[in-house]
Amino acid sequence: MKEEKTEGFSLDFMELQEYQQNRYPYLMIDYVDEVIPGKSAKGYKNLTLNEWFFPKHFPNEPNMPGALMLESLAQMLTIAITTLPGLKGKTTRFLSANLKFKKQILPGDKMVIETEVLSWKRGILKGKGIAYINGTIATEAEMVITIPDILDQYTPKK
Amino acid sequence: MNNLEKYKKIFCESFSIEENMLDDNLEYNSIDSWDSVGHMGLIANLEEAFEIMMDTDDIIDFSSFEKGKEILKKYNIEM
Repeated sequence: MKEEKTEGFSLDFMELQEYQQNRYPYLMIDYVDEVIPGKSAKGYKNLTLNEWFFPKHFPNEPNMPGALMLESLAQMLTIAITTLPGLKGKTTRFLSANLKFKKQILPGDKMVIETEVLSWKRGILKGKGIAYINGTIATEAEMVITIPDILDQYTPKK
Repeated sequence: MNNLEKYKKIFCESFSIEENMLDDNLEYNSIDSWDSVGHMGLIANLEEAFEIMMDTDDIIDFSSFEKGKEILKKYNIEM
């Protein structure tokens, strides 16, 4: 098991699961090429026709659901925060997203994901992410995500 | 705009409420929009508007519209 680090480093499919709690069939990232805790995370997800959602979305025109594209961006972005000291594996919760879909993601595609932390303060993460297919933007989003455990430390107690 | 007007405006904008709701009864969790996330938004907006950085204890103690006025006095913001 890797120690918590503050410099840039990579995470393989096993290691990245230590930092976030999504699991099959909802784990939407395969590999983290480089995470710089508190700043950025980039990596990818490979898609094959074996993905659980392709047979239903859609039978004659399989493509990745937009909600799952967003999920991929969010999972990569949260890695940039859950790799900070003391936050490993913390549960996260989506608060809002502003996104654009520009290109379908199909079986056989490699979705390259780049995310950046815009701010991280008192349990609230604001960031942006872009997913590329063959160098073309497929989707991009600005996201607000919280770690409830941290957020609750700053709220009035009744 | 004086400090009280600015304070009220931030509450109204942070929680999407009308000024007539700003009274002694306005407390944390007394309206849907003043939840944990709304609280952080309120604090961030106050810090930006008044150019202050609030201590953690003050953020936790900031439990109502009226209490907030007392807390901001610590930061030399009189209303």
